[in-house]
Amino acid sequence: MTGALLVATALLGLAASLAGAIAPGRIRTLLSSVLTIASCGFGLAVATEVLHTGHVAVVHTDRLLPLSGFSLMLDRFGALFVAVSAVVGICAMVFRLGYDGHGLSSRTASSVLPLFVTTLLLVPTAASVTTFLFLWELMAVSSLLLVLVDHRRRPEVQEAAQWYAVMTQFGAAALLLGLVLLATRTGGQSFAAIAAGSAHLPSWVKSSAFVLVVIGFGSKAGMVPLHVWLPRAHPEAPGPVSALMSAAMVNLGIYGIVRVGDGLLGGGPVWWWLLVMTLGALSALFGSLHSATSTDLKRLLAYSTTDNVGLMLLGVGASGLFASAGHQSLALVALAAALLHVVFHAVFKGSLFLTASSIQQATGTRDLDQLGGLLKRMPVTGSLFLVGGLSIAALPPLCGFVSEWLLLQAMLHGLPSSNPAIAVAMPIGVGVLALTGGLTALTFVKAAGIGLLGRPRTKPAAQAGEVHESMWIGAGVLATLCLVFGVAPFLVIPAVLDAARNVIGTHIPDPLVGGWQVGLSGIHGVLAPGLLGLGLLVAVSLVAGARRLVQRAAVRRTEAWGCGREVQTARMQYTATSFGEPLTRVFEDVLSPSHDLDVSHVAESRYYVEAATFHTSLNDGFERHLYRPAAGGLRWWGTIARRVPNGSVHRYLAFGLVALIVVLVVVA
Amino acid sequence: MRLTTLARRWRAHPAAVPSPGPGPPAIQQAAGRNRGSLQLRHVDAGSCNGCELEIASIFSPVYDAERFGIRLEASPRHADGLLVTGPVTRNMADPLRKTLEAVPRPRVVVAVGDCARNCGVFRGAYGVEGSVADVVPVDLEIPGCPPDPATIITALRGLAGT
Repeated sequence: MTGALLVATALLGLAASLAGAIAPGRIRTLLSSVLTIASCGFGLAVATEVLHTGHVAVVHTDRLLPLSGFSLMLDRFGALFVAVSAVVGICAMVFRLGYDGHGLSSRTASSVLPLFVTTLLLVPTAASVTTFLFLWELMAVSSLLLVLVDHRRRPEVQEAAQWYAVMTQFGAAALLLGLVLLATRTGGQSFAAIAAGSAHLPSWVKSSAFVLVVIGFGSKAGMVPLHVWLPRAHPEAPGPVSALMSAAMVNLGIYGIVRVGDGLLGGGPVWWWLLVMTLGALSALFGSLHSATSTDLKRLLAYSTTDNVGLMLLGVGASGLFASAGHQSLALVALAAALLHVVFHAVFKGSLFLTASSIQQATGTRDLDQLGGLLKRMPVTGSLFLVGGLSIAALPPLCGFVSEWLLLQAMLHGLPSSNPAIAVAMPIGVGVLALTGGLTALTFVKAAGIGLLGRPRTKPAAQAGEVHESMWIGAGVLATLCLVFGVAPFLVIPAVLDAARNVIGTHIPDPLVGGWQVGLSGIHGVLAPGLLGLGLLVAVSLVAGARRLVQRAAVRRTEAWGCGREVQTARMQYTATSFGEPLTRVFEDVLSPSHDLDVSHVAESRYYVEAATFHTSLNDGFERHLYRPAAGGLRWWGTIARRVPNGSVHRYLAFGLVALIVVLVVVA
Repeated sequence: MRLTTLARRWRAHPAAVPSPGPGPPAIQQAAGRNRGSLQLRHVDAGSCNGCELEIASIFSPVYDAERFGIRLEASPRHADGLLVTGPVTRNMADPLRKTLEAVPRPRVVVAVGDCARNCGVFRGAYGVEGSVADVVPVDLEIPGCPPDPATIITALRGLAGT
């Protein structure tokens, strides 16, 4: 039954792709979107069924891939990711109906987008190395094509796509090496065979496979220092695609690390997980710092994805650390917190990316310094953005609070452990979580304050109007889920716990208090998000009521005080750049800002300034100090190597002869 | 060194400034409202800076107007009123109106010096719009060209209620 549903998901996705390729222009978008939504619906159905009953869905056919066969298997852990991808996919597709621009309605895009969504649904179901790599590459290529959709009009898209292509292929190569190493050493390429054989593997094989896999999945998840493609590709991709990439695709990086590290290899030594935690902490800090100082709305969100992936990795690493120290219950809680953050991040980041795309469509720009006053002009979109922003800033009663609280609890309760690695790592993890929490709050105060409040800074922002209703619905469903999951997290926590138990051992008892409360059994500290939400509602209404009672005089509204200036313009407002400026100063070493002041004088006298231009930009340190030199080295190697094949047939014949002799010598 | 010593000696005994006695009802009302604390935003509407010198000196150690609760405030949003000097020039008429608009009500307007009262020697000059009272309603006038610090403080004490 579940297997049939899985097949239906895949087939409907292919049908949607076909419809996008051959349907006439008028109904192309509608038809391919509806079929994709149906595919996602089936995916959601099979995922909830598997999560609910625990029955594993299995599909195997020998006809699709030669030699190895195509095998899918959906267990509870994979089902969680399928469900997340399906929900984000449905919302993105609904959003897409009203979204125009970026050439997403072209024949190529309409046919590739369903393919991308389908691979997002199917990657967590892959049950063998070949199937997994096939689907993984299909996902990478289809998302690359979707990033490139607008390449004719904007040259920066090409650059972003180049970065993405290189990084994703680098990751895929690492992944290929790691998984093939495991498959050859265990003697079977299905995941079940690897899991069964991994216990007898020598530790260097396991460790090198794990490191390779972390590199491969980390590059897809946007983990520092492999994140450089993310703040380029996500902003340049069309709205629904950027939401899918940020809310669904990066999750699969986390999926892969947990699936291989905890599932296939069955956990590992302490240093594996310290590595994961370190990379997570770096990603969280680096991502949140850059998002707090970015002025491009979608770039800000992309860096914030790196930040949140860092938090998930922190949870995954903490879980592995606890497991290797023998704290099974805490390991389960930490992994559940990380997975819960995967789910909630998908919900709020999906809604944020979709609303940011609405704003981009309505105003034609993503630059916060050119927006302003949008809450009045786009009340629905603006409010949805606010809900997402409050949620990502981890404020109750929205969902981001619950997962970060749980992650914090899991790390805090590891403190009394006698294991030195845990005793050192956990306080640092808690500190990182606290710092990123503060920076994220700052980021979204900036995004909402500069972009939505105040006065419009440019004409397009002043003339912006509300977007199509389907775009409200797409983002609105996700924003509503933020609130629902924030007030009633018990709707997802059992499923997340089951999924976590599925990878790290089924015998661990339930460590969480259920019902309306969230808490760790046996440990003080319980969270009742519903009550918290209710309390907040009561407090806010009390304060509002009291203010209304106390207010005596009528409110007089006058112009903002501008030192008595005759003309005040919207450009005199606080900007996103100036908001981030103090932070840029404090973290100058990390953000390495560059300033460029250009003053030109009038011809008659140097005492009079004709024009002054000021340019400031922040540089990604990893890009500057790691990737640029590496790219320069490759280019140098390319120019050197080009001298060898100079077009002479004689030389090529000589190469062939030499190669033949070498082969003969080696073989003989 | 000697100057510092002198200033310290004066600081120990600030100049005696007489109390104004009960003023007109509007001023008494303002004094009751301010209860010993008067925050003023200063607007130079076109003054020759003579009055500014005197205003600066009322906050010097010698006169020390702050002991009577009188302070200059940077933002009109935080002020109880305006302290306007000079004849109102054409360029300053609108900024003066805007500044008054920015002061929360109820508020007072004090015109300091003869120019603020009746344009003084600048009466009829090019670029002069008129006296302060021609542009905004004035509650208290302080005569003098320029008024000496003690006069200013005495008048402001009436407003501050000290």
